[in-house]
Amino acid sequence: MNNSPLLKIEELRTYFYSRTKQAFIRSVDGVDLEVNKGDTLGIVGESGSGKSVSMLSIMGLIAARPGIITGQVWYQQEQARINLLAGLQDHVQVSKNDGRIMSVEKTDLAWQRRLEKNMLGIRGKEIAMIFQNPKSAMNPFFTIGHQIVENITRHTQYKSRKEAKERALYWLERVKIDSPQLRFYNYPYGLSGGMCQRAMIATALSSEAKLLIADEPTTGLDATIQARIADLLEELRAQTGVTIVLISHDMGVIGRLSNKIAVMYGGRVMESGPAQAVIDHADGKSHPYTEALLKSIPREDNMSSQGHLNSIDGEVLDTINVPRGCRFASRCQRINKSIEKMCLNEEPPLATVSDGHKIRCWHFAGV
Amino acid sequence: MGDAILKVTDLKKHFIQGKGLMSFMQRQTIPAVDGVSFDVNTHETLGLVGESGCGKTTTGKLILKLSQPSSGNIVYDGIDIVPMSNREFRPMRSKIQMIFQDLDAALNPKMRIGQILGETIKIHNKHLDDSAVTARMYELLEMVNLKKNKLSNFPSELSGGEKRRVGIARTLSVNPKFIVADEPTSALDVSIQAQVINLMVDLQKQLGLSYLFITHDLRLMELVSHRVAVMYLGRIVEIGDAKKVAQHPRHPYTEILWSSLHVKQSAAALKVQQHNAKAGAAWDVFDFTEEDKGCRFAPRCPVFAEKGQPQACTQQSPTLQDCASGHKVACHFPL
Repeated sequence: MNNSPLLKIEELRTYFYSRTKQAFIRSVDGVDLEVNKGDTLGIVGESGSGKSVSMLSIMGLIAARPGIITGQVWYQQEQARINLLAGLQDHVQVSKNDGRIMSVEKTDLAWQRRLEKNMLGIRGKEIAMIFQNPKSAMNPFFTIGHQIVENITRHTQYKSRKEAKERALYWLERVKIDSPQLRFYNYPYGLSGGMCQRAMIATALSSEAKLLIADEPTTGLDATIQARIADLLEELRAQTGVTIVLISHDMGVIGRLSNKIAVMYGGRVMESGPAQAVIDHADGKSHPYTEALLKSIPREDNMSSQGHLNSIDGEVLDTINVPRGCRFASRCQRINKSIEKMCLNEEPPLATVSDGHKIRCWHFAGV
Repeated sequence: MGDAILKVTDLKKHFIQGKGLMSFMQRQTIPAVDGVSFDVNTHETLGLVGESGCGKTTTGKLILKLSQPSSGNIVYDGIDIVPMSNREFRPMRSKIQMIFQDLDAALNPKMRIGQILGETIKIHNKHLDDSAVTARMYELLEMVNLKKNKLSNFPSELSGGEKRRVGIARTLSVNPKFIVADEPTSALDVSIQAQVINLMVDLQKQLGLSYLFITHDLRLMELVSHRVAVMYLGRIVEIGDAKKVAQHPRHPYTEILWSSLHVKQSAAALKVQQHNAKAGAAWDVFDFTEEDKGCRFAPRCPVFAEKGQPQACTQQSPTLQDCASGHKVACHFPL
């Protein structure tokens, strides 16, 4: 067993182009992340912080232009370590001004061909994904059984229909869908939200992927069903040893399931580290954004005397006009005279504050 | 506490579902709201919680007469609004308003924010001239902390929180006294959610509003509402003071609902799970085709299983009984 992480993302950038604003939307703007084997990495952040887009980039599922621009995604296979975005930089020409990407020239067809070649045998087989909205992610024209069988025959050694069906029923049972024999022949619209989410998880797991990316698996479900899906993921992780990347904006779900946490804001990772360090501040250090996020969870001890909840003033960063300095500076509570200049003019580095705990803030950058 | 601004008694809405081409031959009624009664006092927030499909939103729509109740009374400020025709009800519309769940659907994507707000102001005050309308719009924007330059934007150009504020501003434009807020924060991030909730609390104090707050977020409910009503499959199973319901639930369903919030599931919830695993009971579906008698929660109920499936639960439908100063619960064996 070697120690290199299962997935290592370096300097991933995914941009979109807004025609009305004539500018780039810098959705993912230099993300570095590591996921070790057997870990559950929780990615939190407000909507628009780039959590979903960064994970979709890894899966190569970004269709809009210009899409992925730079970065490496190292994926550890049994023998070799491969870069999922290898060779793509040959087809992209970036012109920079003052360290900022101002224009992108991309030969789309060649780029797309190369990406598909890289993704072959990885997407779905090695890295599977649970999508945000199960009802729209499943194909409405096929039964859920058909969709799971399709996945199994494509990606595993169970090639015959009969074997694959047995296997599909096994997975449906694993995710605790009652009477799987009947549900096998159901169409997605015939299932409730929670049930459909389970079928989605079964589909993702059925290819026996090493890495499971769960994009907001519990949003849109009722409280009781949410708890159940969270329990199910936890149980499956314990039994199959699958590595999970969990995307959510719900600190509760993240805190409950993951042992590593990354906090994203405006397309950047602001804080990452072990769950105890990030949520419970085990080492007494935290990023102002994480702190504010934790404080705005509706809870008894987060209420002020006037019956107000703590909120983060202002709006989520608009990733078109990214500021020069720290991205969170405009909403930051901890900004003070001594470091203000730095905060507004220069972006802080991701500094290591304690074992595995990194914070992107001038307070901890050692100045 | 003040007087009841809204009194709902035995409200029912039965949808009729036809299956297939010959649907008129065999019709199936779905009792989405089935005998709901509650009061909302002035300056009060009544929270309405429950799973999806339990009839929360339908109840909200019935109060606004967006759909006609099958039976029951809705008395607003001493006037029963159920028998009213739409024409008769129209002047009352400015008093009762709704904040809709999905603002992408509720705001016309082809109208600018200024047009959206201006239209509602003009409809209820036809005599106003343009400058007065603009003044009122600015006033509303200030109330909800939005910048004036947003008036020329289209809804698609606004963020989720801003859209929500526009929705609230539009609701306030007609000076309502009673607002049905249908999942006002369901699609928002926690930080923005806090802003919107704070705004709603402030407005309640400033303008003396009463809210019917529909949500499935229990934590929020507990903190924002004065009283809470818990719904299960079209019926209210527990109603009472928010703190009391949250901390000392008497109905097994409320207990399970609240325990599903905590990191570790409570003993009761675990018991249900084990019970269900054994019995193979379906959690998600309730079959309305079977004759409806007894407690609707019984198939999922831990107490029912524990007590050896007593006759009372399957034969007799429980009614809301007062168990302590205004805390009512509909259960044969309250916890």
